[in-house]
Amino acid sequence: MNSKRKAWMQDLRAIPFLLPFFIAYMIFTIFPILKGLEMSLYDWNLVRKLEFVRLENYKDMIGDQFFWDSLWNTTLFVILTTPTMVALALGLALLANLNTKFQTFLRGSFFLPSILSVAVISFLAIFMLQPYNGLINSVLHLIGIEAEPFWMADKVLAWVSIVVVTLWWTVGFNMILFLASLQDIPESLYEASEIDGATRWEQFRYITFPQLIPIGRVILLLQILASYKVFAQILLITGGGPSGSTRPLIQYIYEVGFTKNNLGYAAAMSYALFFILLVLSIVQLKSQRSEGN
Amino acid sequence: MKKTFLFLLLSLLLVLTACSGSGGSEEVAPEVELPEGTTEVVMWNLFGGGDAEYMEETVDAFNESQDEYYVNNVMQEFEEYYTKLLTSIGAGKGPDLAISHSHVLPELVSQGLVVDMTDIAADVGVSWEEFNQNILDATVYENQHFAIPIDTHAQIMYVNNELVEEAGLMNDDGSIDIEESPEGYIEFFKTLDEKLPEEKIPFSFSSTGSDPYWLWWAMYSQLGGDHILTEDNLENPTYDIDLEKAKKAAEYVQSLYQEHEIIPLNIADFYSEFQSGNAATTTTGVWATGIWETTEDLEFTPLPIPNVFGEQATWASSHTLILPYYEDADTEVQKGAVEFMKFATDNGAMWAEAGHIPSKDSVIESEEFQELPYRSDYAEVADYVNFVDRNIYARGIEEIITRNLDSIWSGEVGVEEAFSSIETEIKDLIE
Repeated sequence: MNSKRKAWMQDLRAIPFLLPFFIAYMIFTIFPILKGLEMSLYDWNLVRKLEFVRLENYKDMIGDQFFWDSLWNTTLFVILTTPTMVALALGLALLANLNTKFQTFLRGSFFLPSILSVAVISFLAIFMLQPYNGLINSVLHLIGIEAEPFWMADKVLAWVSIVVVTLWWTVGFNMILFLASLQDIPESLYEASEIDGATRWEQFRYITFPQLIPIGRVILLLQILASYKVFAQILLITGGGPSGSTRPLIQYIYEVGFTKNNLGYAAAMSYALFFILLVLSIVQLKSQRSEGN
Repeated sequence: MKKTFLFLLLSLLLVLTACSGSGGSEEVAPEVELPEGTTEVVMWNLFGGGDAEYMEETVDAFNESQDEYYVNNVMQEFEEYYTKLLTSIGAGKGPDLAISHSHVLPELVSQGLVVDMTDIAADVGVSWEEFNQNILDATVYENQHFAIPIDTHAQIMYVNNELVEEAGLMNDDGSIDIEESPEGYIEFFKTLDEKLPEEKIPFSFSSTGSDPYWLWWAMYSQLGGDHILTEDNLENPTYDIDLEKAKKAAEYVQSLYQEHEIIPLNIADFYSEFQSGNAATTTTGVWATGIWETTEDLEFTPLPIPNVFGEQATWASSHTLILPYYEDADTEVQKGAVEFMKFATDNGAMWAEAGHIPSKDSVIESEEFQELPYRSDYAEVADYVNFVDRNIYARGIEEIITRNLDSIWSGEVGVEEAFSSIETEIKDLIE
C-alpha cells in the first residue's frame, strides 16, 4: 500500500515539470494541428472562415497540376539529397575520425556551415553562383572558359546548385551523428580482427559498416523528413524559379495561403504533406522493427 | 510532506511566471511616452531604407506641429506586412492608421476592413480637388473615399549621363536623344551597345519578377491595353485581356533580352550595376531617385519611359493611408489619424524626397517641390499612369503573371503558350 502511494506521489511530483511543456505543446502544436484540419474543410481566407465545403479543397488538390508539380519538385529534392547526404556524411565522418593532426581542424571545418543561418548560406551561395561576376563564373573565365552558366536560372543547374548548397550546409550535423557512433565501436573489435589478419577494407566491411547501420537508419529517416520540408534555401536562392521549376510544395502552400488568400486550400495541401510524411515514417519504423526482431 | 508541498508550490509559481510573460503581448505597438494630453494614434508602415526615413520625418514633423495627437509610427517587415495587416485588423487588434498599396485596397474594402472616411475627411477639412485625379480615383469606391493617397510611384527610366554622352546620345541641352517609336527605343540601346566598351551594359534590368512585369504592363498600356480583368466587380471580375496587345508587348520586351541582347540575362543585382556606373541605363520605380542621388560619382537623369507605342502610359502603384475598421473605434483617434493624412499630403514635398511623386497637384506646383532636383523631370507621369486592375485577386494575379512572363524572358516558353497558361491560371483563381 505504502509503496503504491509512494509511486503515486512520485508521479504527482512530475506534473509541475511536465506542465509548462504540456501547455506550450497543446497551444502551439496540438491546437494548430486540429485548427488546420478544420480549416482544410472550409473556404477560409486570411481574415475569416467563409463556408463549409466538405472535401472540396482535397478534390481541388487532386486536380491541381501545380500541386503535383511542386510535390514532385520536393520529392526530387529528397531523391537527390538523401543518398548523397548519407554517403557524404559517412565519408566525412571517416575522414574526421582518422587519427591525424588535422583531426580537430577537419571536424571543425566540416561542421562549421551548420551553425550558419539559412539567410547567410543563401546569400553566400548567390554571391558565388551569380553570373558575370560571381565567384564561380569568374574563376571559370580566369582559367579560360568563356561560357556563362546560369547556376540559378537554368532548370538543371538550379537543381545542382540547390543540392550542393544544401549538402554543404547540413552535412556537418549528420557527420557528427556518424562520428559519435564511430567512436562507440569498441576498440577491442579492431584489435581482435587485426590479430586474425583482417585488412583495413575488411575491418570497414565487417566491423565499422554493420555497427553504423542503426545510426544510418536514423539519419536516413531524419533526412527524408527534413528534406520534404525544404523551403527557405530554395526561396532565397532561386525563388522557386526558373518559372516554378524548383518551387517546393511548402512554397506553393505559402503562396496559396498568403498571396492568393486561400488558407483553406493551403491547409488541405499541408495535410497531404503531413500524410505523406506519416506514411514514410511508419514504413521506416516498421521495417526497422521487423529487422530488429 | 511539508517539503513536497513547498516544492509543488514553487514549481507552480515557476509555471505561472513563465506563462505571464506572454500574456501582455497584445499591444500593436511598442509603448512610447506620450506627450501630456495627446491622443495616441498607432500607425503601421511597410517601408524600409530611405522610404522609412522620410516617413519617420513626416511623422515627427506632424507630432511637433500640434499637441492634440501623437502618431506612434511602427515599422513592419514588408514581406509579411499584408498578411499581418489583414489578419490583425480582422481580429480587431490592428493599428489605428496604416499604409496600404492601392492594389491591395480592393481586398481591404471587400472584406470590410477599412472605414469609408468621406465624412471624417470633410470634418478635418481634406479638400479632394487638390489631389491629382488619376491618383485619387484609385482610392474611391462607389463615391466613397476608402483611403488618402500620399503618392504615386511609377516605373521610369534612368540613364547614366557620362555613358550616354560618351555614346553621343545626349543633346546639348542635357536631354536624351531617343526616338519615341518601337524601333527608336531599341536603336537607342543598340547604339549604346556599339559605342560603349564591351563590359558596359546598355540596359541593366532584372530577368525575373516584378520589374520586367511592370515594363510589360507599361508597353501593354502604351499599345492601348487597359486591363486584364474587367473592373466592374471587386469579387467577380471577368477575364478580359486584349490578347493581341498583350502578346505584342511581351514579344517586344522579350526581344530586348533575346533577339537584340540589350539586357544581359540573369543579372544578380541590376541596381548595383547601374549604381556602380557599369550600366548606361536602367528602368525601375521612382524610389530609386532617392538611392542614386546619394551615390557618389553617379551623374544620372531620370525620364519617363519613352512613349514607344503611341499612348502615353506606364506602370505605377500608389501608397495610400487607410483607417482600419473596428467595431468599437474611438472617433477621436480616427480624427487624429485623418489629421495626420491631411498633414502628410499637404506636406507631400517631404515625402517626395524619397523619390515618389506627391499625390497633390498643389504640392507639385509648390516651390518646395520644384526646388527638389530630378523629381520634376518625371512628375508628369502621374497624369497618365495605368494602375493595375482593381479586384481582390491583384496579389495572386501578379504572382501568376510574373512567373509566366519569366519563362518568356528566358526564352524557354513561347509567348502563345505563356499567355494560354496565364488565362487558365487566372480563370482558375477568380472563378
